[in-house]
Amino acid sequence: MASASAETASSSSQIATAAASPTTERRGIPAAQFVEDVQTFLSQLDLDVNSALAFLQERLQQYKLVEMKLLAQQRDLQAKIPDIEKCLDIVATLQAKKEEGEALTADFEVSEGIFSRARIEDTDSVCLWLGANVMLEYSCDEATVLLQKNLENAKASLEVLIADLQFLRDQVTITQVTVARVYNWDVHQRRIRQAAAAAANES
Amino acid sequence: MQHEQAEKSDTVVTWEDQQNINKFSKLNNRFHELEDEIKFAKETNDNLEDAGNELILTDEDIVRFQIGEVFAHVPREEVETRIEEMKEVNSKTLEKLEKEKETVLAQMNELKKILYGKFRDSINLEED
Repeated sequence: MASASAETASSSSQIATAAASPTTERRGIPAAQFVEDVQTFLSQLDLDVNSALAFLQERLQQYKLVEMKLLAQQRDLQAKIPDIEKCLDIVATLQAKKEEGEALTADFEVSEGIFSRARIEDTDSVCLWLGANVMLEYSCDEATVLLQKNLENAKASLEVLIADLQFLRDQVTITQVTVARVYNWDVHQRRIRQAAAAAANES
Repeated sequence: MQHEQAEKSDTVVTWEDQQNINKFSKLNNRFHELEDEIKFAKETNDNLEDAGNELILTDEDIVRFQIGEVFAHVPREEVETRIEEMKEVNSKTLEKLEKEKETVLAQMNELKKILYGKFRDSINLEED
């Protein structure tokens, strides 16, 4: 009896892995195993229904945590991209003004609600804030190149992040469906047992 | 964020079904994201319209136009041109988003037909 179920378990696990998602994990996120048959799934894990449900719920919590983290990263990137585009816009405007030979007058914020006027004449170079209390001076062309590169990197990172989030959501959906199926299987089993017990009592 | 539940009574859930459910979930998320983006694009459109109207009403020659964090002094005509360009870009974006939203909705309806066909009452694919 034990060896027979072990055989079915191993063959069904082969089927399960063959039919399951091609990756077992992605950047630290474990993939959710797709369950072909609840019975074999439970015997494969060697857990009773409640422990299996607890295990799946715990997985869901872990997924939620990772999702929060990824969403926060996505928000940061989505805020950074318009910032870089604004910087590119200013550098382009300065270069255009330089070609016209005019000085650029601008009102800028000194403090909240207080503005001051500035006249920008020498527009050969700009200073870029690189973070970590570091600011470097660049020529307009170099600045444009650097900002473009940053913009492209940010957009590429965002794409990877979105793909990660999609993978994660798939795993969450698979796990939720598995939870529902295990629960329903259990309800089904109880009904069968009750029917069998009732039939035994009658006879 | 789960608005769909699949309860199997005696129906078997195949890998293909699971993939359909996953795809529906992805499409639904994308649909909500698109709605937010469309709302934002429409607001930007309104703002640009208002800015254009204000520009017509003002009789100043030099307008303070916001570039990044500063307000550059820009001649009125250049501001007009800039606003027109921004409106163009924005309406193109809005159009693209609306189209994508329609595609997503169409795909979602297709999937709904397939999944309801297989699972009938065991699955709920509507918003809460």
